[in-house]
Amino acid sequence: MRNRATTPLSRAKIRQSWSKYNLYNLQRFRNPSTNNRTFFQQKWTAKSSARAYHGEQVPETQWERMFSRRIRSVVPMDATRLAQDDGSIASSGRGSGIMSPWEMERAKKEKLTPFTQMTFAPLERRLDTAIFRALFASSTRQARQFVVHGAVTVNGKEMRYPGYLLNPGDMFQVDPERVMFATGAPKSKAERREGRIARQKTETPEEGEESVAEEEKEGKEKQKPEAEAQPEDTRETLKGLMAQAKTIMSKEKSDLPAKKKQELRGFQKAIKRVLSRSESSTILNDNLESQFSELMTLLKATRLEKKDNKGKNTESQPAAESSDPVAETEAPDSRPGQALTEAFQKATENPAEEVDTSELTESELDTLKRALIQMRDNPIDSTKPYATPWRPRDYMSVFAFIPRYLEVNQNICAAVYLRHPVARPGFSEVPSPFSESINTGAFAWYLRRR
Amino acid sequence: MPPRIQTQRVSNSVLPYLSSTSSTPASSCTSLPPSSTSCPHRTFSSTSAAQTRLRSHMFEWLNSEGRKLRYHEPNVYKYVTNLRDLAKDTVPPEQLSKRPFPLNQNFVSEPILSEEMREEIYKRVAQDKKSVRAVSIELKVDMRRVAAVVRLMEMEKGWRTQGKPLALPYSRAIQEMVPTTRYSPDPRNQRPHESINDLPVHRLTDPQIFYPVSESRQFTRVDAGRVFSGAPRLPNSTVDEITNDPSSSISRATQNPHLIERVGKGDQETQVLQPADARIPHPYLVAHERDSIKKPHERGENIKRFSSRLQEEERAEAERRQAAEERREKKTAKVNPEDSRFEFRFTDVVVSKETTGADGRGHRAPGRRYGVPSYERKKGEVKIPTRVNV
Repeated sequence: MRNRATTPLSRAKIRQSWSKYNLYNLQRFRNPSTNNRTFFQQKWTAKSSARAYHGEQVPETQWERMFSRRIRSVVPMDATRLAQDDGSIASSGRGSGIMSPWEMERAKKEKLTPFTQMTFAPLERRLDTAIFRALFASSTRQARQFVVHGAVTVNGKEMRYPGYLLNPGDMFQVDPERVMFATGAPKSKAERREGRIARQKTETPEEGEESVAEEEKEGKEKQKPEAEAQPEDTRETLKGLMAQAKTIMSKEKSDLPAKKKQELRGFQKAIKRVLSRSESSTILNDNLESQFSELMTLLKATRLEKKDNKGKNTESQPAAESSDPVAETEAPDSRPGQALTEAFQKATENPAEEVDTSELTESELDTLKRALIQMRDNPIDSTKPYATPWRPRDYMSVFAFIPRYLEVNQNICAAVYLRHPVARPGFSEVPSPFSESINTGAFAWYLRRR
Repeated sequence: MPPRIQTQRVSNSVLPYLSSTSSTPASSCTSLPPSSTSCPHRTFSSTSAAQTRLRSHMFEWLNSEGRKLRYHEPNVYKYVTNLRDLAKDTVPPEQLSKRPFPLNQNFVSEPILSEEMREEIYKRVAQDKKSVRAVSIELKVDMRRVAAVVRLMEMEKGWRTQGKPLALPYSRAIQEMVPTTRYSPDPRNQRPHESINDLPVHRLTDPQIFYPVSESRQFTRVDAGRVFSGAPRLPNSTVDEITNDPSSSISRATQNPHLIERVGKGDQETQVLQPADARIPHPYLVAHERDSIKKPHERGENIKRFSSRLQEEERAEAERRQAAEERREKKTAKVNPEDSRFEFRFTDVVVSKETTGADGRGHRAPGRRYGVPSYERKKGEVKIPTRVNV
């Protein structure tokens, strides 16, 4: 299907899209003037601007058949008020009800139900629109492509029809990689180049392996002198790591994504460098807990509170082998917290040759841990089609909202269509960028001959 | 005749490669163009010039006002409605508007369930074996949403055990962008997620009916429902019964929907419209409120009565579901051949008065019947799947 959904700047049309062109159009869109215009003209303008947003991928005849003048609405009921009154108060007097002055006030404040804002509610049932509403795609067109390309399942079965009308209780699920691609920032030129190089390496595996092996050899040679000089530089390394971890975990406004990324890269490299000193060869691919404890032992970092504990244990046997990383990696993964504390105890029990081991407070340890977790969850991987580590694309938060009729689980990129969208006093559930005047005009347009 | 000096606008449309911000548009027009080859190609095209001007405006805006919207900040709603507030930087993030669209007053970005809230719902339903109804009342979350959360969490746990990659950074970003309902361990501090007792507006209540009633009569919601559905007035004895014990009459209707009185003939036969107390998702909450109004000092007793009513409702619902399941089982014939992975289930087609209708022309019944056209080729017939069974 050819994409006719352009975002022209000259005649602003709002689309179901997160592009910056659309954002610009959205912020400058104003209600069309009604002066000197016939009712027909007003309805035409209203309908054409509303249809450019609501289901522009749906042919007009198909939408006309979908249109329904009956609009679903609900009234939230208060159990206390229902219990107090069996309805006879509302019908007392001459049938118009006897109300106290404060009840009159409340009745005046009650908002009207915006029925016409629900004009395009039937379109929200469509699978492609629902995927866009669940924030799994950056536009309805893209959602449509995901469906057509077979990346979407409904109730566990592949569904290739973007026009499938979801029934209440249907669960739809999109491939997480696609979602990350659709909602993530695009790769920069340098990142694309990195990805290309990585692909070329995998295509010619022999050369790649050789080079890796060479690198490893070089690395080992380099590490030997490092290992000798280890006692001096552990503190410095730990300090540097902590600073980097703090920058990564900071949520300050001033931090630009590029800066954070630089830090993250540096952090990752430093961690790798430290971990490569370990005697265990598998540590780089190990689980997080063992990596963390290994890091702690290698850097001789201890908790601040354990200070006196350490003093007590100095008499115990000097068992340097007890902090063997292999033994720690074999610790059961089922109890990560316990494994971690054990690792720490071992590290503290290990009588330190130098008294000036680096000491970390609880919060510092926590920061380091969280930085490690984030690095695991959101790694740098040049083979992905989006910028890594993943970050939301620009201007995404402007369009980020999830309507009530969907229940979304972002971790698995799945959502359940709970019910059809409804109107309630003061609120409508159909996300529409238009005011009531435009949607009413559109509703009136489609009411004709009906 | 003096030489005509072209205005800025004209020069723009004539020479599109000159931007409107160019300092000397007139001079470059009058003097010879530096590259004489490029000019004649573009002379008569005016559209691209307009486009370029608009584009430059757009990027100007994106780099000045729109700059604030570019990157997301945790728990700051960066909607277009908040542009001015964000620019001022004095408004605290809690007071920012939750309306994503400045022109639409009726649409707000409503909170989603936070991660710990989902975990809690899953824990209560799947591990503590509480009913969906009870959890819905406890946490003030819609019943359908509770069921959906459990279903999705079940799937997520499965993925985690299988080691499938999850979209964790994406999830975190969304939770930071959208308002969330947090779980609080103290039930008194738990903020309601949504209204759980929504009454759907019934089709029969659309028309306004003028119905004269004597002033002395107690005209209640029950009577109004009967008027809307065109049912005759209730006998006085029944009215007295309902007035004396409204809760039991409501629970009778909600637990045995097949016993509700029906009116109308043939195709028009419908149930009598029930009062709002019976049509809301949690009718026992109203009964509980009635108890606490009538007997304000028996708090413990009231709570006991409430839980017994809740259990009764759940039991009735489970019975109904089981009966429907049995009926379905009765209709299907199952064939399970040896050395086959599949079980074949057959359901007989029914061509009877129920499916064909009184005149025998109803198109719900399968098969060709004389005089009944096939709607297969009719315009607008839906040919793609309409349901996917779980």
